[in-house]
Amino acid sequence: MSGFVAKPPAGLALAFRFALRELRGGLGGFYIFIACIALGVAAIAGVTSVSRALTGGISSEGQSILGGDLSFSIIHRQAAQNERAWLENLGAVSEVATLRGMARRHDGADQALVELKAVDDVYPLYGAMDLQSGVSLGDALAFHEGHWGAVADMSLLARLGLEQGDTLTIGRATVRINDVIAREPDKLTSGMEFGPRLMISQAAIPETGLIQPGSLVRWHYRLRLDGGASDSDLQTVISSARDAFPEAGWRIRSRANAAPGLQRNITRFAEFLTLVGLTALVVGGVGVANAIRAFLITKREVIASFKCLGATGGFAFKVYLIQMLFLTAVGIGIGLVVGAILPFLASAALSGVLPVTLEAAVFPQELALGLLYGVLTALAFALWPLGQAHDVPPTALFRDIVSARARRLPRKRYLIATMLTVAALAFIAISLAYDKRIAGIYIGASAAAFLLLLLVARAIMALAHNMPIVRSAELRLAIANIHRPGALTPSVVLSLGLGLSLLVALALIDGNLRRELSATIAQEAPSFFFVDIQNHEHEAFNSLLMSEAPDAQLRSVPMLRGRIVSLKGIPVSEFEAPPEAGWILRGDRGITYEAVPPENTQLPTGEWWPEDYSGEPLVSFDHEAAVELGLTIGDQITVNVLGREITATIANTRVIEWQSLSINFVLVFSPNTFAGAPHAHLMTLAWGGDVPAETELSILRTVSNTFPTITTVRVKDAISQVNDLVAQLAWAIRGASSITLIASVLVLAGALAAGHHNRIYDAVILKTLGATRWRLMFAYGLEYAILGLATAFFALMAGGLAAWFVITRIMGGSFILLPVTAASAALIALVLTVGFGLVGTWRILGEKPAPVLRNL
Amino acid sequence: MTNGPAIALKDVQLSLGEGAGRVHILKGISLVIEQGTAVGLVGPSGSGKSTLLMVMAGLERADSGQAVVAGSDLSPLTEDALAQFRGANVGIIFQSFHLIPNMTALENVAVPLELAGERAAFDKARRELEAVGLGHRIHHYPAQMSGGEQQRVAVARALVVEPKILIADEPTGNLDEATGDQIVELMFKAQRERSMTLVLVTHDPTLAEQCDRVVRMRSGEIEDDASKSPAAKLEASA
Repeated sequence: MSGFVAKPPAGLALAFRFALRELRGGLGGFYIFIACIALGVAAIAGVTSVSRALTGGISSEGQSILGGDLSFSIIHRQAAQNERAWLENLGAVSEVATLRGMARRHDGADQALVELKAVDDVYPLYGAMDLQSGVSLGDALAFHEGHWGAVADMSLLARLGLEQGDTLTIGRATVRINDVIAREPDKLTSGMEFGPRLMISQAAIPETGLIQPGSLVRWHYRLRLDGGASDSDLQTVISSARDAFPEAGWRIRSRANAAPGLQRNITRFAEFLTLVGLTALVVGGVGVANAIRAFLITKREVIASFKCLGATGGFAFKVYLIQMLFLTAVGIGIGLVVGAILPFLASAALSGVLPVTLEAAVFPQELALGLLYGVLTALAFALWPLGQAHDVPPTALFRDIVSARARRLPRKRYLIATMLTVAALAFIAISLAYDKRIAGIYIGASAAAFLLLLLVARAIMALAHNMPIVRSAELRLAIANIHRPGALTPSVVLSLGLGLSLLVALALIDGNLRRELSATIAQEAPSFFFVDIQNHEHEAFNSLLMSEAPDAQLRSVPMLRGRIVSLKGIPVSEFEAPPEAGWILRGDRGITYEAVPPENTQLPTGEWWPEDYSGEPLVSFDHEAAVELGLTIGDQITVNVLGREITATIANTRVIEWQSLSINFVLVFSPNTFAGAPHAHLMTLAWGGDVPAETELSILRTVSNTFPTITTVRVKDAISQVNDLVAQLAWAIRGASSITLIASVLVLAGALAAGHHNRIYDAVILKTLGATRWRLMFAYGLEYAILGLATAFFALMAGGLAAWFVITRIMGGSFILLPVTAASAALIALVLTVGFGLVGTWRILGEKPAPVLRNL
Repeated sequence: MTNGPAIALKDVQLSLGEGAGRVHILKGISLVIEQGTAVGLVGPSGSGKSTLLMVMAGLERADSGQAVVAGSDLSPLTEDALAQFRGANVGIIFQSFHLIPNMTALENVAVPLELAGERAAFDKARRELEAVGLGHRIHHYPAQMSGGEQQRVAVARALVVEPKILIADEPTGNLDEATGDQIVELMFKAQRERSMTLVLVTHDPTLAEQCDRVVRMRSGEIEDDASKSPAAKLEASA
């Protein structure tokens, strides 16, 4: 018998009305919640917006960055007459040569590797070349009083101790530095630079003697199309150029993708920082969950009242879900405002620092991404505790009655919704990433660290619970506080642990990379690379080095530059290469030929060719790259070298230890492949250990003065350039990951605030029983220290494991746990937990017992 | 109103807690309460009277036995259906008032009507507040009112849906004597005028004396069940 028929439950509109009434209480108690969401959203929206502003700036300044509407670049050779005529038929053409060379003081006392650029009279076709004194480039580069003019980066003058008006020697030519470069419009297309810019006129090039057959010189032909051309016109010209000169071997770029590599790197870096921002959001999510849990405890009676008055559990859930979404919207709103402002701030701060103007604007798509991540993270962490509101028993309103039927877990629907939200979060993060594998690993590792830390928190609480009774009252109180209901343990271990794990992982990766670089320099890497050694000077150069450095090892190989045109008959533009192997197919690669395999060569597949081999061209391919590209023995590769396409068959794959920094080539051909082709040589000089700087500098001076056209790259200088770059990236990454740590601190502060009432209760009772303020302080300090140390220990394990994986499995290096990093992690954790804990507790300890006891 | 008793409990058993901490609270309670009766539940702390009240209101589910309230067997109803059942049939008054702090007196009284989908919720709520003498305090929040005023709001909230059964758990426990008397007068007046069934838990013998029938509990069982009025029949179920 049941006469009552249930009506459909109260709707969303009523829940919304109730939620608004409930929010009249203000946002007090939710500042941490809002700050956690705002911080993560600001990080994501800010990073992606700044990246967009940067790549947008590169796109909109495409013409001046590229130096033309289209750019055709060729390695080793100038454009043939018919090629040049074809280009000139389309519009104005500017010819620019770029190469590396040694700039020397006129007295021979010092020298520096420079990025040399020889320009013609019409350079630049687009944009402006600004010199510090304001004179025109043509005047600055003109021949005057027996010397060609030159302009240079200020850093070159500082490096060689020269002043404007002084002369320096480049190759065999002496040029006068007439001005300093203030802005070079096409600088971004130069790629990785190993030295400062020195710019001369093309008419001065023959005098330098730097351009010889096989020299590593790139010729760029920038084209300004007549009558303004659309992007589709550019595509038409590109297709026609490929059809007209299929074997030209030129690399064609349009203003629409003037600096694709740079844009790609900015995007990838921004994606990585977005993942770090997402980690900050996840860490903040712990704060969200804590805040909601604490809030719902205070709302228990209200929920029970609703239920006594006829509200269903689902209705109670809706009322608090709407409130949570409102608070999330406030946090997201703040985060989006910060994220939207950041491109403008970055544009103002970086103006004059970057060679491109940031296209500062409000980017709705990037802000939408921040919003999406913010909502999903808040839901992922809120649905679980909110689900528990569904089952708050109405009996909670009756005195002395505690229903033992309260559920520990929320209903299945809330668990499923939580899981779906987490899955959506992971799916979006992975699907938006350029490198899905790395993003997947990152998300997987973060999830694993999260679960691990959750288990660790439980284990610490269980351990504290089962500890034998200790004699010290302070220690006993500290241990009891670690495992009692509402303890700080899960919050501290989870949030601080996650932030610290990330920081430890990044610090260990950075530290290990630098250690490896330094160790390699000391033990294996050669001291010098000598480039552009012509056949006729090879022997003399060899002799000079042997007499100057008799105890060093010399290695010499022929060297050409070429571009892979097709793999297995598939043009590279259509070849689907995985992201990690894409670099091999972009731009040109150094290539060589050898009759015998280099010493200690390992060939996992195939055989080396006979020393006197004279059949079809064969090639030895980098084993790792071959695996990534899906190439096997017998596959064919076509390369374009000196405007000729050469197809060779893969004879073997070879293990390359890139970390050794010795001569390594992805492609090593059989000697008959390039018979008769003009080429230069590459040599290395290695001592097999550390060598005094004076010895290196003395050799550098002698070589530069004796063979002025040979380019010398001192490995220590190059490594220091790379180190500087790594350091700059590491700072950016640490900056982003410090946001995660700030989120941890917010969560910690929130957890302390949530436990405030319990602490006051404890402190007052204990003071009533005779405990002094210092004894309580000691007990609380002990509790925070135990938690901090335990968190640091597990963060070190988790972060170390992640760093080990990245260094050994992804980068293929060797890993050691760096003691300074470990100690720093422990110190940060201790300072944060003990510091924040005690600061928060100090006021509590000052509470007078009587007023509190009256209100208990 | 349906024919038959307002509340009929038959061999109701209820235990709470788990494992070693499990306590047998209601030990086979059988009780019939006729419509329009005022019943006082009395007994020492821990005797099970509040738990019995919760079973009658559909707030706790019996482990075994049957609870038929306002003509509905509560056993097969889901949690959500029970909530709606309470909203339509049972008004509850608590010792600690349990008003919703962020809602005004008017909104607090309107809540059960709004949950029931009543369009004129605020008009009805206003009238009910005027009836308990709080027409001038309708826009005040609980924190701005005295304990007596808060309890009057709670009474208005319990009565506004015209429930068949009014349940009160120590309604004067947190009030001074004079204010408590006013609340008791309000409750009994409403019970008489609207022919409602009133069940109240109290430790106050004077208050219990005003009921038609007093049920005394001890250790989860009915120790004594006495009618104070010819209108109410003493009837224990078999």
